Amino acid sequence: MAEKKQHTVGKTADFPVGKFKIIEIGGREIGIAQLKNGEFRAVRNVCPHKGAPVCKGPIGGTALPSAVGELIYGRDGEILACPWHGFEFDLLTGDELIRSGKPTKLLMFPVAVANGNVLVTV
Amino acid sequence: MDLPENPANAGQQGTQNAFKVVDCDVHPYVKEGISSVFPYMPDAWKQRFLRKRATVGAEARSLKYLHPNGAVNREDARPPCGGVSGSDPHFLVQDLLVKNKIEHAVLNCLQTGALCSTLAGTDESIVLCSAFNDYLIDQWLPVDNRLKFAMSVPSQDPQASAAEIRRLGKHSQIVAVSLPLINILMGNRYWWPIYEAAQEMQLPILVHVTGPDSIFQGPPMSAGGIPDSYVERYVTLSQAGESSVNSLVFSGVFEKFPGLKVIFVEYGFLWLLPLLWRMDRTWRQLRHEVPWVKKSPVEYVHKHIRFSTQPIDEPEDPKDLDTLIGLMGYDQLCFSTDYPHWDNDMPGQSLRGLPKAERQKIFWDNALTTFRMR
Repeated sequence: MAEKKQHTVGKTADFPVGKFKIIEIGGREIGIAQLKNGEFRAVRNVCPHKGAPVCKGPIGGTALPSAVGELIYGRDGEILACPWHGFEFDLLTGDELIRSGKPTKLLMFPVAVANGNVLVTV
Repeated sequence: MDLPENPANAGQQGTQNAFKVVDCDVHPYVKEGISSVFPYMPDAWKQRFLRKRATVGAEARSLKYLHPNGAVNREDARPPCGGVSGSDPHFLVQDLLVKNKIEHAVLNCLQTGALCSTLAGTDESIVLCSAFNDYLIDQWLPVDNRLKFAMSVPSQDPQASAAEIRRLGKHSQIVAVSLPLINILMGNRYWWPIYEAAQEMQLPILVHVTGPDSIFQGPPMSAGGIPDSYVERYVTLSQAGESSVNSLVFSGVFEKFPGLKVIFVEYGFLWLLPLLWRMDRTWRQLRHEVPWVKKSPVEYVHKHIRFSTQPIDEPEDPKDLDTLIGLMGYDQLCFSTDYPHWDNDMPGQSLRGLPKAERQKIFWDNALTTFRMR
């Protein structure tokens, strides 16, 4: 396994809030997005379910578990929905939304911000 | 769920299948709907549709059955030149066939299916069906010989359907007859003129939900009542498949048409095991009611009926799926992607737990003996 390196992928302003920008690092497609809380995420563009380009899915909120007949919208800007089968992932943790701790987890890479640059360790 | 052991090792589509593939469920989308096929119909009919302002085609789903994520089609499968996913044959060849090493892709147009089963009147459906068939033969099939076609029939009129099969059925890239089901079980004699023509042309009958199923009166309905959401409806769509297998066997269709083959596409398949166990036991008990059923239902189904794989069910432990398929036998299944729809299965990610020889049957061999491949 190659040693991990920190890659400068752009300025913070290059990554709009709530939308993945897909770049390639070492032959891997990685989606980079800024969340509403200002944190960055770098996610391998492969859905752990069946390999779909998961970062092409929308980032938004979702209907939270609620009483019968009640609809509560929440977690806006924190949930990624796969563009194929619709599985939802929690961008704060990488977990599949309703199955935390299961192996269907997004592969996320460490992101740091320094001097306005976004740095991803792959 | 078909989980990779380590998500980091999960390949993207197209990287893992080292064998040839037939995809028996691909959906071409005719860009501008009815107005695209105006050149393929008599002028009087064109004038009628223009006057009705029926240029795109009616909506196959009412509000409550709209897809919760906004579209049945995958957004990431949109052609770069714009337009709906599945509407550009050149892009489809690259995005689906080349990436996934697919040698034959069976095109089945659901716009035609929905119009024929439900949305158009009987006479309209006959004209539209021929026009959509001719459009696809003219605009899609010459693009690539790997594109094969399940021609549609106007199922509200069995005689017109039989005539359409005989009109087009000799085309070398036509490999099946796509039959848009209406709410009459498949063994019923209503359908027999269609089976006769299909058998004559050595084409299998392909059935697939057409869109308005369980929504409008006309196509097959979910058992027990009207579902209340997309989720509920989606889960129940397999029920019409189950009823139809049962009906085909006990009504004696395969005694009447011994050369007929039927492929159920996108109805699922794991339900087949308990269905066959029940059909076989009941036949042994009461076969004298249907004495034309001379063999066990299991034998008719194994000889005449195939099922597409997508959407593959996903037990908690993927090995349970392999066990159930082993119990079914490996000759019943034909691989399908359902491209460009949201619930697709791609070859490199599907049925990976099965032994290589069995995968080869499902991804290649079984389709070659089911469809009329020349």
